[in-house]
Parts: sequence; structure tokens; C-alpha cells
Amino acid sequence: MEYFSKMRGTTQSPPRVRISEVLWSWVGAFLGISAVASIHYHILDRTGLVMIIGSFGASAVLIYGAVKSPLAQPRNLLGGHVLSAVIGVAAYQLLQSHTWAAASIAVATAIALMHLTKTLHPPGGATALIAVIGGEKIHALGYFYALIPAATGALVMLAVALLVNNVPRARRYPEFWW
Amino acid sequence: MRNSDGPVPEKKLMNARPCATPELTDQDILEAMKEVSGYLDITPGDLREVYLSAYRLAAKRLWGDRKARDAMTREVRFVSPDTSLEDAARLMGRSGISGVPVLDDSKRVLGVISERDFMRHMGKGRSGSFMEIIAECIGAKSCAVLPIRGGKVSDLMTSPAHTVSEDAPLSEVADLLTKRRINRVPVTESHGLLVGILTRGDLTAISL
Repeated sequence: MEYFSKMRGTTQSPPRVRISEVLWSWVGAFLGISAVASIHYHILDRTGLVMIIGSFGASAVLIYGAVKSPLAQPRNLLGGHVLSAVIGVAAYQLLQSHTWAAASIAVATAIALMHLTKTLHPPGGATALIAVIGGEKIHALGYFYALIPAATGALVMLAVALLVNNVPRARRYPEFWW
Repeated sequence: MRNSDGPVPEKKLMNARPCATPELTDQDILEAMKEVSGYLDITPGDLREVYLSAYRLAAKRLWGDRKARDAMTREVRFVSPDTSLEDAARLMGRSGISGVPVLDDSKRVLGVISERDFMRHMGKGRSGSFMEIIAECIGAKSCAVLPIRGGKVSDLMTSPAHTVSEDAPLSEVADLLTKRRINRVPVTESHGLLVGILTRGDLTAISL
């Protein structure tokens, strides 16, 4: 049965990275998340705005931990978050009486749109989902969610990635911009 | 008389591997991935697939749409299954070639006989390498050629032989030579009759 034999897999896991790569991933993620978290807790918290959302943790894995990945490039980071945010807000506003449908349609459509626009960025799926299940504070933002936190947070994290990832000689970022 | 009139192995031809699709193991790919610093977001299996398909495209670019008939040698020396091994060896030695097709009376390809077929049946070693036979000849009194003395081409030939049609793209021929680890392949027309022969050397010559 070819169908079941496909489930066995065909190859092996990629090699483990060097220890310096581990350390620079840590430094990048620390600084990147520090930046958006500081803005969130020190500046925006009293305004009802949001700067940090869960999907930025996932973006950090990519843009600080897998800097060569096509999924981690600026086009994907920015495009993925912004487009998915718009889709998520739209899904919530059109289908809020059926949260389960809004949630699933938001994520599925976000993936489709990211594919079509060559901006696939896995954390975008979370950004779309958070627009639906993120609670009152997020819902109150409406489409502004796509600008803050999605676009602005991604830009801050991108700036940190550009600064940190180009310090070590063996690393460079990005592979491409657009 | 010892083996002095036998074919002198054409080392140049045997070593030429111009068009070989590289045989990459997963381990090769994994080692190469380790040399790149940073996390590569691809599995060794996928990387290998991409590499091989890029290689095929490059081969196509090098050889273009050219077909077997554009690169083959048309004047083919051949033997029949009843040719004695001695005559076959003399023919190959005289012409400086390392293998010839075996044809029946109507020029249909029955097989191929090459240095490698001779060597496989000479000496006691299993690898059939030229140097192994040399070593045996020097070291012992037994002559390496004894086991095949008095034989006919049909005793040694590789049969059936792989053949390609005149219209086969050169990239496919290169693939076949590599995968089957052979150095030449007879080219046949639509009825299976021999029209030429294509060697690794022919492929390099045309890609230069």
C-alpha cells in the first residue's frame, strides 16, 4: 500500500547547528522580543493598544533561529503578518457568531493568501487566529490590528534581525528583501 | 605465448566519466549541509532531489535537444557471436577501442563485449580489474588468460545489451551510461538494427 508506506518517511533530519548559531539565535530572540515587549508594557499598555502577540514568538524562531529560511525573509515576515491580520479581522467581523468557523476560515485563508503572494510565514497563521480568538482588546482594534501590532511589531523585530544577524561573520540577513 | 597480443586496456576511455550523474548519498548531502553554517530549512532528501533535477536541466542545456544520432560514431567495428575471442581481442587491440557490439547476420544487436567482459573471466579474483590480473600473471605461473583460451565471443559477451534509439536525447544516454556503469551503448534504428555506437567520449566531445 503506497498510501501507508509514504507515512514511513524517506530521509533524515537535517544536521544540528553549531553552538555559535545557537548563541546568536538566543541573542537575536532575546533582543527582538525585548524590543516589542518593552514597547508593549512601557508605552502602549495604558492606551489600549497592543504591541506583542503570540505569533511574534514564532517569528522569532524563524528570523533569529533560521535566518536563511525563505520563510524568514523580510517579504515573508512583513507580508505574512499584515495579510494574515487583515484576513483574521475580516473573518471575525463577518462570522463572529460562529467563532469556530471564523477561526478556521481565518487560518486556512491566510495560508492560501500567503501562498499566492509568496509571503508564506508560518506565524502569520497565528496572527490570523489571534484576530479571532484574541479577546476583547484585540477585537476592539478592528482593522487597525493589521497596522499595530502586526505591521509595526514585525518591523521592530525586522530591525533587530538586521542589526543582530549581520554581526557574526558566518551569518547574514536577509537572503532577499522582496 | 602469453597474453602479449591481447587488448591493451584503453585507460583513457575507462576513466572518462564526463557525463556521470553524480551518485550522491544522503551522507554526502548531510556533510555538505554541515559545512554551511546556520540552519538550512530543507531535508537532505529534498536537497538531493533539487540538486539532481538541476543537474538534469544542466545536462539538457549542455547537450541541447541533440539526439543519439548527432553524437554517435557511425563506423562501428563489430563481431559476431561465433568470432573467436582471440580475433575479437585482436580487433579491439588494433582499433584501440575497449568494446564492440556483437551482431547477428542481419545486424541485429545481440550483446556487447568489452575489456571488462574479458577481465571478468580472467584470473581468479572476483573484481576483474586489470591490475589484479597483472598481479596474478607476475606472481604465479598460471596464466591469466587460461580460463578463456579457445572461447568464442558468445561465451563472454554481455547479453542482452542495453541499446538506445537514434532519437534518444543525449541527456538520457548519459543517464543510462551512468546508471548501468557502462562505457558505450549501441544505437539502433526503429527495427533494432545497428546504426552506430555512442561512448562516454562521444558525449564529452560534443559538450565541449
